[in-house]
Amino acid sequence: MGFTPRAFRGPLVTLFAAAVAGCGSDSPTGANPRTGAPLPVVGHGETTVRYTAELWTRGTVAYTSTWGQRSPTAFGNAVYIWNVAGNTPVMVDSLIVENATTLGDIQVSDDGTLLVVATERANGSIVIYDLTNPLAPTRLTRYETVNTSNGVHTAEVARLGGTLYAFLSIDPPTPRLVIVELSDPRNPREVLVRNMGNPFVHDVFVRDGLLFTALWDDGVTIWDLGGGNRGGTPANPVQIGNVRTAAWSPSAGGSRAHNLWWFHDATGGANAKRFVFVGEEAPGTGSVLNSSNGDIHVVDVSDMAAPREVAFYHVDAAGTHNFSVDEEKGILYAAYYNAGIRALDVRGDLSACTAAQKSSDGRCDLRKMGRELAAGLDANVPTFIWGVHFDGEFVYASDMLSGLWKLRAASR
Amino acid sequence: MEPHDSTRTSFGLRAQAIALATRVDPGLANRSYTEGYLAQPLIMAHGSALDGHLGGVLTLDFEGLTLDRGQLNPGAYGEGYADRRHPHTYLHEAIVVAAGAFGRLGVSLAGGKGFVPFGTDDPMTRPFAAYPVNHHLAQILERYVAIAAASAGPLTLEGAVFNGDEPMSPGAPPDASRFGDSWAVRATVTPRSMPEFEGSFASVTSPELVTGGGRDQRKWSVGARLAQPFGLLDHALVEWARTDELVGDVKISRFTSILAEASTAVLGATVSARFENTTRPEEERLLDPFRFSRNPTDLGIIGITRWHIGTVAVSTPLPARRVDVAPFVEVTYAHPSEELTPSGFVPQDFYGTASIWSASVGLRLGIGKMIHRMGRYGAGVPNVRSPVPSGGQHAH
Repeated sequence: MGFTPRAFRGPLVTLFAAAVAGCGSDSPTGANPRTGAPLPVVGHGETTVRYTAELWTRGTVAYTSTWGQRSPTAFGNAVYIWNVAGNTPVMVDSLIVENATTLGDIQVSDDGTLLVVATERANGSIVIYDLTNPLAPTRLTRYETVNTSNGVHTAEVARLGGTLYAFLSIDPPTPRLVIVELSDPRNPREVLVRNMGNPFVHDVFVRDGLLFTALWDDGVTIWDLGGGNRGGTPANPVQIGNVRTAAWSPSAGGSRAHNLWWFHDATGGANAKRFVFVGEEAPGTGSVLNSSNGDIHVVDVSDMAAPREVAFYHVDAAGTHNFSVDEEKGILYAAYYNAGIRALDVRGDLSACTAAQKSSDGRCDLRKMGRELAAGLDANVPTFIWGVHFDGEFVYASDMLSGLWKLRAASR
Repeated sequence: MEPHDSTRTSFGLRAQAIALATRVDPGLANRSYTEGYLAQPLIMAHGSALDGHLGGVLTLDFEGLTLDRGQLNPGAYGEGYADRRHPHTYLHEAIVVAAGAFGRLGVSLAGGKGFVPFGTDDPMTRPFAAYPVNHHLAQILERYVAIAAASAGPLTLEGAVFNGDEPMSPGAPPDASRFGDSWAVRATVTPRSMPEFEGSFASVTSPELVTGGGRDQRKWSVGARLAQPFGLLDHALVEWARTDELVGDVKISRFTSILAEASTAVLGATVSARFENTTRPEEERLLDPFRFSRNPTDLGIIGITRWHIGTVAVSTPLPARRVDVAPFVEVTYAHPSEELTPSGFVPQDFYGTASIWSASVGLRLGIGKMIHRMGRYGAGVPNVRSPVPSGGQHAH
C-alpha cells in the first residue's frame, strides 16, 4: 500500500480528537458546546471503504454493520468484525451479505450464541449467524418472507419467558411489525404480522414482557406481551397506552419516535422503572452525514396506560440517534450524529425541576438541570455517530464516516 | 387526422414517439452505456362539444411498456429513478373541461387526472429528447386534479387542488384518499407581442412517500417563454424554480434551478440549445444503481448534487405526407458536483469523473395534429377566447 493522505488520516484523527477532547471547544457543526467532562478517546479503528452503521459488542469482540453506497462497488452489505481487546479496535474479518445494499441493525443475543443482522431495502430479511467462534460467525439462515421483503429497518432481539424472539420493523409502503421466534434459529417461525406506524414503525424495546414501539408520528405505544396483565402474547400484543412525544421544534410538529430504552435503575428506588427514553430523529438542514435534528424525550410510564412526556434534552443543530445505558451508574449514552456522543445522568426523578429549568410547555430541560455528564467526539473532527454501545469500562461508537471509536466510559 | 372545425363539436387525434439510441459516458463507475428506446410513445386526443362549453383531453403514454428500465439521462431523477428518466403513467392526462364566458372574462372548471397548474410546459413538448434535471422542480403532473381558471385580456389565473403523491409505477393510479391534500396557483401574463410570463406556487404534501408522512414541499416557479416565433427564435424558455422541503413548517432542504433554452432555424434545420444549473436530492441507491428507495432513510436525504448541463440538438424535418418525420442529433455535457460536505453521494466517486457526455441520435415520428397545449386546460390556456375547447394552441 502506498503512502497516501487517507492512510495517514486515522492516527492523525485519533491524536487530534484526543488532543482537543480536553479543550472543551465548540463543535464545528454549531451544536451546543458540552457542559460536562470529555469522554477520552482510547482508540479508533478506521474504515472508510463503506459507511459504518450500527454496532454491538460482547466481550472483546465488536460487530459493525454498513449502510448505503460509498462508491460504485462499496455497498452497505458488509458486517465487520473487530477485536477490541486492545486500545485500538482491529478489524479481523468481515461478512458479506449477498444482494443487500444496507444492513441496519445488528445485535448479539443475550446468551451470546447468535448474531442477528437486518437487511434493508429490497430483499429485506434478517441474517442469523452462529457465534460459537465470535471472531468467525457462521451463517445459519437468511430469513426472508413476503412480510419482510420491503426491507427490515431494525431488528431487535429479546427473550420472553425463556424464548428468544426477533422484532422486525418493516419499511413502507405497508409498515408493519413482524415478530419471529428463534427457538430454532435455523428455522425462524413467524408469530405476528401487524401493520402499525405513521409513516412507519421504526424500532422497539422489549423488557419484562412489555413491548414499546416507536411509531414515528404516532409516537410511542406500549403493548402487553405477557408482562402487563392484559392477556397479551407475542402472537397477540395488547395495547396498553400511547404517548405522542413533542417535536424538537414547535413548528416541526409530529413525534418522529425513533428508538427507545426503558430504564431500570440498578440501585432501585421509586424512580427505578419509571422512565422511558425516546430518541427523536429528524432530518437536518442538509443531508445525512452533515446535519441532523431531534431531541431525547423522557416519558414517565408510572401509569403505563397513560404515559406522558416529562423532560427532554436538546442539542442545537444536532439530533440524537441510538442509545445505550449504563444502568449500574444511571448514565445514558446517546449517539448524536454530528455532535458526537452525549452522556446524561438519568438517575433520580427526571420530572422534578425548578421553574427556571422548564421549557415553556412545562417539560423539564435536562441540560438546565445539569444532567449532562460528559460528551465525546464532538470536537473539530467530522464525525457522524450512528450508534453507541456501553460495555463496562468503555463506550464504543460507530461513526458513519470513519469506523469504530473506543472511548473510556463516564463516571459519576 | 385533421381536427373537425365545427361550432358544435371538434375532435383531434395524434400519435407520436421518439425512436433513439443514446450513449452515456460514463453512466456510472467510469462505465459507458449505449441503449436504444422508443421514448414518449403517446396517443393524444381532444374533443369538444356544445360550442366548446364542454371538452376533454386524453393522453395515453406507453413508456411503461417501452421504458421500464428508464431512459439514460444524466442528472434526471424522480419516482425511484436516478440518472435514468422514469417512465410516465399510462394514463398521462384524462381531463374534462367545462368552460364559459362572461363578457371578456373566460372561466373554466377542469377535473380528472393530469397536469397541475404549476411551472412551465412539460419537457415532452419541447425540442429535446433528454429531460432537464429540473423536471420535478418545474412541473407537477399525473395527479388527480381539479382546476378553476379565469382569463381576461392578457391575464390568466389558475388554482387547483390535487393529491400530493407522485406515481408509484406506470400502472398505479394516484391515491384517491389523498385528493385535496395539496394545492397550487399560477398566474400567466401574455402582453401583446411579448413573451408569456408565468409565476406559480404549489404546496405539495408528501410527494415521495405515497402513504403520507414524508417530507412536504413548497414550490415556486417563474418562467418566460415565447408564445410564438420572434425574430430568429422559434422557441425560447427561461425559467427559475425552487423547491423547499419541510418537516412540519421547518425547512430542511432547498433545491433550485435556472434553465434557459432556445431554438432557431439554420439552413432548414432546427438548432436548439439548453443550459441548466439545477440541484437535486440524492437518495440511497438500490441494487440497480439507477434506482433509489422511495422510502428515504428516516426521511433524510444522503446528499445534494448540483448539475451544470449544456445540451445542443439539431433536427431536420423531412418532407413526408401525413406523417411527421424528423431525424435529430443531440449532445449533452454534464458536470455534477456535491453541494454539501461530507456527503453520502460524491459524484466524482460515483460516476468516476466529474464530466459526463451523452449523445443521442434518432427520429421523431408523429401522425395527426393536435391543438391541445399539454398541461393547460380551458381558460388556463392563455390567449384563447372562451368558451374554448380543452386547449388552444399547437404544442406538438
